[in-house]
Amino acid sequence: MTAHDMKHAGSDSARLEAVGGRLSRVDGPAKITGAARYAFEQQLEGLTHAVLVGTTIAAGKVTGIDTRAAETAPGVLAVLTPDTIMELNSASDWFGRQPSEETYCPLVREVTFSGQHIAAVVAETLEQAVAAAALVKVGYDETPAIVDLSDGSDGIPVDAMTKEWGDAEAAFAEAPVRVCASYNTPREFQAAMEPHGLIARWEGDELTIWEPSQWLDGMARTYAEWFGVPFENVRLVSPYIGGGFGSKALALAHSAVAAAAAKMLGRPVKLVLNRPQNFTSYGGRAATRQTVAIGADKAGRIQSIVHRGVNETAVDGMWVEPLGSVTSIMYATPNFSSKQNVVRVNTVVPGAKRAPGENPSAFGIECAIDELAYELGIDPLEMRLINYAEQDPHAKKAWSTRQLREAFAAGAEAFGWARRSREPRSMRDGHQLIGWGVAAGTYPVRRAYGEAVVKLLADGSVEVESSSIDMGQGTYTILAQTAAETLGVPVEKVSVRLGDSHFARAGVTGGSRLAGVMTGAVYKAAGQALDELIGLALSDPRSPFHGLQANTLQVKGGRIAAPRGDGPEFSIAELMSTLGREKIEAKGDTVPASFTPEQRYNNYTTIAMALPHTEGEHSRHSWCAHFVEVRVDEDFGTVRVSRVVSALDSGRLYNPKLAESQWKGGIVMGIGQALLEEGIVDRRHGRIVNGNLADYMLPTNADIPDIQTISVGIPDPHSSALGGKGVGELGIVGVAPAIANAVFHATGKRVRDLPITLEKLI
Amino acid sequence: MTSQTIIDPPEDGHFRNGQASNGSAPSPTTLSIHLTINGRDHALDIEPRVTLLDALRERLHLTGTKKGCDHGQCGACTVHVDGERVLACLTLAAQVEGRSITTIEGLADEDGTLHAVQAAFLEQDAFQCGYCTPGQIMSAVACIREGHAGSDEEIREYMAGNLCRCGAYPHIVAAVRQAAEGLRS
Repeated sequence: MTAHDMKHAGSDSARLEAVGGRLSRVDGPAKITGAARYAFEQQLEGLTHAVLVGTTIAAGKVTGIDTRAAETAPGVLAVLTPDTIMELNSASDWFGRQPSEETYCPLVREVTFSGQHIAAVVAETLEQAVAAAALVKVGYDETPAIVDLSDGSDGIPVDAMTKEWGDAEAAFAEAPVRVCASYNTPREFQAAMEPHGLIARWEGDELTIWEPSQWLDGMARTYAEWFGVPFENVRLVSPYIGGGFGSKALALAHSAVAAAAAKMLGRPVKLVLNRPQNFTSYGGRAATRQTVAIGADKAGRIQSIVHRGVNETAVDGMWVEPLGSVTSIMYATPNFSSKQNVVRVNTVVPGAKRAPGENPSAFGIECAIDELAYELGIDPLEMRLINYAEQDPHAKKAWSTRQLREAFAAGAEAFGWARRSREPRSMRDGHQLIGWGVAAGTYPVRRAYGEAVVKLLADGSVEVESSSIDMGQGTYTILAQTAAETLGVPVEKVSVRLGDSHFARAGVTGGSRLAGVMTGAVYKAAGQALDELIGLALSDPRSPFHGLQANTLQVKGGRIAAPRGDGPEFSIAELMSTLGREKIEAKGDTVPASFTPEQRYNNYTTIAMALPHTEGEHSRHSWCAHFVEVRVDEDFGTVRVSRVVSALDSGRLYNPKLAESQWKGGIVMGIGQALLEEGIVDRRHGRIVNGNLADYMLPTNADIPDIQTISVGIPDPHSSALGGKGVGELGIVGVAPAIANAVFHATGKRVRDLPITLEKLI
Repeated sequence: MTSQTIIDPPEDGHFRNGQASNGSAPSPTTLSIHLTINGRDHALDIEPRVTLLDALRERLHLTGTKKGCDHGQCGACTVHVDGERVLACLTLAAQVEGRSITTIEGLADEDGTLHAVQAAFLEQDAFQCGYCTPGQIMSAVACIREGHAGSDEEIREYMAGNLCRCGAYPHIVAAVRQAAEGLRS
C-alpha cells in the first residue's frame, strides 16, 4: 500500500471527486465492458479494407511492381503503387516548417529502409486484401545498407545539443579520481497494444479520419495540407487510444495511403498495420551510444563531466534523441561539456518513445555516478547527495520545486537502504545473488497554452469539450474532477467529451504536458461559466436571487445559495429553468490575449509555441528516485527484479490513483528496457527480425514484482495552474540504471549495454 | 484448447481460398455457419479463412474483443469457448460452430451488473489505455475458474499470456486476487 492509499483510505465521496481525489477512472466502465469503441472500430457503410506491401530490402531501387495477379484476385478494388496513387502536397513538419519538396508520395521507388511502403491493395474484405497483397511481386536493384550505428562514421555533429561551461576536459584531466565508460542502448519500440491504423472517409471535400491520435489538431493540419483542403474540412476522431507512448502523434505514410485510397475509390477505407508493420512504419527509440567521463575530488565532489553522445537517425529524416538532457542538470559541477552526433542508417525515422532523451541520458549519467561511488568507496546514495544540485547547473536558475532529496529519503526509508552491505556479491539467498541499486530520474515540465469549452445545461449537468485525448493517462477523469470542483457540482453530473478535432482545440499530448495544460484550461472555462451563472442569478429580474444584498453566490453539490446561507437555495437546474436558459457555455483559454489567429493556430497544430521549461526565473522538472532489488541466478545469469520502491515528485497530483498507475507503468516499461527489449537487425537486409510481440520481448505479468510508489511532490505554482508537474514520462527515467547498478551490486559485473541479458553476465 | 474440425484441410495443410497453386482465377468458397455468442445465435456467410476474431470485429461488430498482434502473442483477443479461454485470432470462426462463445460484451449481467472481475479491475485501476483489458478480464475469469488464482505468484504466472504495455500488471494481480477472494466467499 502506498502512502496515498493510507492517506485517503477513509475519505468520503466528496474528497474522492475533488481535484486530488482518488476517483476511479470515469471511462473505466466503458473499457471493462467492451463498450468503448476505439477509433478504427467504427462501423461504416461500404467500408473497404487496405493492406500494405513493404520493401524486403533496406537500400536500393524498386525496378518493377507486378500487380496483375493482385488486381484480378477476388474482391480487389484497387492496387496502388507509386505510379497509380494520387499525388499529394508535401506537408509542413511538426514545428510548422514548410517542406522542401512540393509533392509527396507515401509509396516509394527509392528504398531507404526495410518495410517501407511500396504498394497497397484495397479489397472488399480484410481477408481478400491480405491474400491479394501477397500476390504483388516487386523487383529490386539492391545496394548495400548501413544497418546500425556500428556501420557508420562518427556521424554529423548536432551543434544545438552542445552544452558547455568551465573547462571540462582540463578539469577532468586534473581530477584526482576519474571514471570513464561507454553506455549503449539498443533500438527500442513503443509497442502499444493497439496497432496503428485508421478509417478514412471523404464526403465531397470533407475528410473524416478515425485514427488513434495523441494530437488531433496537428494530424488534421497534416491531412489538410496533403490534400489541399481547409483545416476545418478535416475532422479527426479518436475517442480512446490503445496506448501511444509517443508513437501516435503524427500522421504517417500509411495514413496518407488510406486517405488517398478513400478519395480515389470514393468509399471509406480502413487500413490497420499488422504487428510486424508496427515495427517499421514509424520509429521507435533510436539506438544510442554515450561516453560519460566524471572527474571528482577525493571527497567525491564532482569537478567535471565530459559527455559525448551519438544516436542513429534515418537516411532521409532527422531525429535527435537529446542525450545530454539529464547529464547537464542532475549534479552540480563547475565544469561540463556535452556534445552529440547523429549517424544516418537505413531505418524508418526514429521517433519519440516515453521520455525521449531523458531516458537514455539518465542511463549514462546514473550508471556513471554509481561507478564513481564504487571508485571512491562511497555509498551510491550518499554520492548523489554530496553532489546534489541546489539550482539548475546549466540554466543557472532556481528550481521551481525539486523534492529529489525528499525522494531519496522516503525511498531509502521504505526500501530499507540502510541495511545494504556495500560490497558487490555480498548479499545472497542460496543460488541467487542479491543486488540493491539506486538511480534518480527527471523530466522537464513542458508547458503550452490550452482551451476548453464548458457547458452548463438546463438539467444541471455539465459538458466539457476538448480535442485533447485520453490514452490511459486519465484525461477524462481529471477534467471531470476539475470541472466538478470549480463549478461545485457532483462529478457524476459532468460528462467529458474528448477526441474530436471539431471540439475546442488542443495541442499535442506528449511530454507529460496535457494534464497541466488542460486542467488549467478547464479551470478557467468552468470559472467563466460559473461567473456567468452567478451574474445572471444576481442580475436577472426573473431570478429568485435578484435584489439579494450579495456580491456573489455559492454553488455546492449542484445547489446555488447565498454565501451566508440566509437566502433561498435552488438547484442549478431549477435556476436555469427560472432564468429560461437552455445552457450557459464558456470557452476558456490560457492563450495570451495578444496572440493573432495565426499564432493560435500554430499553438495547437505545431510544437513551435511550447514554453521553455527554463522560461523566466525558474527551471521546472519532475524528479524521482528508484530503489531496486534484483536476484541473479549465479549459475545461469538470469536477472529477476524482485522489488521496486520509487519516490516521485510530480508536484500536486490531480488524481493519485491514476498517477500511481502511470508511474508504475513507466517503471514496468523501464524493467523491460533494462532486461528484455532490443530490436535486432538482420545484417544482410537491414530487417528487424524480431518485429513481433513474441520475439521483441515485452515484460509480462510474471516479470513484474510488487511496485511501491511514494509521492513526495508539493504543488508547484510555476509549472501549471493547479500545481502539477509531469507524470507519464517520469516513471521510466532512471529505472534501467537502477537495475544495472543493482546487477553490479549483485554480481560485481558492470553491464553497460542494454538489455542486461544472461550472456552478458556469465 | 481442443477444437472440432468441421472442414477438411487441403492436402498440403494450407487453405488458399479455392485458389489454384499457379495463382490464376481464384474462386472463393463461402460457408454458412451459426455462431452462439453471449447466448445469442448469429448466422454468418463467411470464407473458411475468416478467424473468430475478425468475424467478431468486422462482421458482428462486437469490437470489445481486441486485435493486438493477430498471431497469438499478446492475448488481447482472449474469449471463452465452452468456458475455456481461447485466442480468437488463432481460431477460425468455422471451428467454433455449435460451441458456446463468450466475449467481454457478454460478461456482465443483463441488467448491467458487473462481473466481480470487472468490478475489481475498475476499483484497482488495473488498466490504463484499456486495449488489452477485455482480454485480461476474460483471462482472469478463466484463471480464477481454473483454480489458478491461489497466490500472487500463481496469478502472475497464469496471467502472463496477456500483455499490457501500459504496465498495469501489479494492479491486475491485485484485481484478480480481490475478485478471486470475493467469488470464493
